[in-house]
Amino acid sequence: MKNIFLKTTGLIMIVLIIANLFVVISGIFISDQINTFEKKTDSLHKINLSLEKKVASLGSLKFATEQAKEYGFTNSTAPQYIDQLKFAYR
Amino acid sequence: MKIKFIFLLFIVFYLTIVVRLFFLQVIYSPANKSEYLKTNKLNPIRGRIYDQENQALVLNQNSYQLYVEPKKIEDKDKLLRLLSESLKVEEASISAKLDMSKYWVAIAGGLPQEQKDKIDKLNLKGIGFDYQTKRFYPEASLSAHILGFLGKDNQGEDVGHLGLEGFYDRDLRGLPGFVETERDILGRPILIGVQQRVEAEDGRDLILTIDKNVQEISKNRLLEGLEKYKAKKGCVITADPKTMAILSLVCLPDYDIEKYYLFNENFYKNLAIADLYEPGSVFKPLIVAAALDEKKIKPNDTYNETGQIAVGEYNIKTWNDKYEGKISMTRILEKSSNVGMVYIGEKLGNKKIYNYLEKFGFGQNTGIDLEGEASGYLKPKANWYPIDYATVTFGQGIAITPIQMIRAFASIINGGYLMKPYIVQKIISKNKITEIKPQVERRVVSQMTSEIIRKMLISTVENAEAKWDRPKGFLIGGKTGTAQVPIKGIYDASKTIASFIGFAPANNPRFLTFVILYEPQSSQWGSETAAPLFFEITKDLIVYYGISPSQ
Repeated sequence: MKNIFLKTTGLIMIVLIIANLFVVISGIFISDQINTFEKKTDSLHKINLSLEKKVASLGSLKFATEQAKEYGFTNSTAPQYIDQLKFAYR
Repeated sequence: MKIKFIFLLFIVFYLTIVVRLFFLQVIYSPANKSEYLKTNKLNPIRGRIYDQENQALVLNQNSYQLYVEPKKIEDKDKLLRLLSESLKVEEASISAKLDMSKYWVAIAGGLPQEQKDKIDKLNLKGIGFDYQTKRFYPEASLSAHILGFLGKDNQGEDVGHLGLEGFYDRDLRGLPGFVETERDILGRPILIGVQQRVEAEDGRDLILTIDKNVQEISKNRLLEGLEKYKAKKGCVITADPKTMAILSLVCLPDYDIEKYYLFNENFYKNLAIADLYEPGSVFKPLIVAAALDEKKIKPNDTYNETGQIAVGEYNIKTWNDKYEGKISMTRILEKSSNVGMVYIGEKLGNKKIYNYLEKFGFGQNTGIDLEGEASGYLKPKANWYPIDYATVTFGQGIAITPIQMIRAFASIINGGYLMKPYIVQKIISKNKITEIKPQVERRVVSQMTSEIIRKMLISTVENAEAKWDRPKGFLIGGKTGTAQVPIKGIYDASKTIASFIGFAPANNPRFLTFVILYEPQSSQWGSETAAPLFFEITKDLIVYYGISPSQ
């Protein structure tokens, strides 16, 4: 009777220790995951802001004007001289 | 015996843990609590601002605050030198901030990601970065006066100033949240500990009635106009006359919205809503509309314009002191006759004049959703002298704001409704879109009066004494104005405020544009400065909106 009690107690303790270990390790693992996800969320948030800024900059009139200047669309065209005329008037 | 020994060992082991926990959680509790229980404020993201086509005008961008922990610095001279090079700030300025007796000192805020990465690579001991966001303006200062700017209050918290940032500060700023979490030594959450999180509610986004292309056209043209006519300052306001949705609002000079702190606060003033001035002849159509509405005049009634007229001790004359004899009411507007307007004012009567000024909303805020609006001044009826009633008919002796003027003018061409001007058409939060509808304040004149005055204003443009380079095939209505500027109670003839208010296409106005130039030097007259500028803007807008010619 005593043996059965001791064996059962020992078995329960072993099970509890294993369960405890499992919970602790799972906890650490999940905490790690939470930590990783938090960092990823922060990083994604920053990337989103950067991309939003980039898209808005590329779609802006300011950028279009700069590009137009760079490619010469805003340069006034040279007057076209017609045969005898010395100047072309607007 | 062995089992008893192991049992005893377990007891000792657990007792040790219990005693240790007692020390940690009870004896040293207050001191240690902060090491694992962290409470952080979750800052909301400030709302963004877009134009009517959902093109961004204000966004948020990543930014960092550089701080130094003086107690952890290893080589102060090296740190000062390298930070000075990276931040492009004098060493002495950084040194002055660096109080070695403190644990934490802020050095510079608003650093972009690239600059932060560059400083990180220096591997300096004792420095760190706090994450922040700051405003980003894709169109730079295109709409500086409309947008306002984001500054700091006494507690160092972000607060919107002027324009939309000021008016909608509570909507834009959102609500902060907080997170309370127990963390282990590596910063990982302890799952069986306290984990409480209340999410921040981000600020609401604003969708404006402003069209950034119209804004760009207005700003570029105004800039050219200021240079061409050598004016001190100027404004262009364009609105939909039926709703008073503002399509563009530009006043120059303005300021660099990203470096607002470098500018004198005089530059912050939005002249369109905060500057009081005497409108001059652009005011005349309002009095004519009032007289038509009261059936005191008809467009073809005649007035015998023979010369100057005396009101008390004052003589009133036309702008060129020339008189045409018998002229119609429409002609009074066409030639902008001051004496003719005094006649119309007399027909209308003093009491009605005052009533209509109140009905048109002068002396009251228009309620436009921008911070910094002035209400204008309409002196009490008891203080009005006969000369005041005479001069107000041609827009002198009354102080109004440009936004009041364009609102009143819109009411006489849109069927008679005084509308509340507005700039925000939608407020978007996470779960809700609030639409802001056009708001009728009151009816000022009848539909019939509105149609008559619109035709008179078309005639005013077509038969004006000045000839303008108007877009061919389009019906345009409008009126010039040249107001003298009172300096110490005396009008200075050399200083004027030149203006033109007009609409197109006149039969069914798509836009109403008000141009004001302060103290133009090339000519003092609105017909030679503001009017040509108005027609330049109108030509651009006709092309932009794809409006077909009607003639």
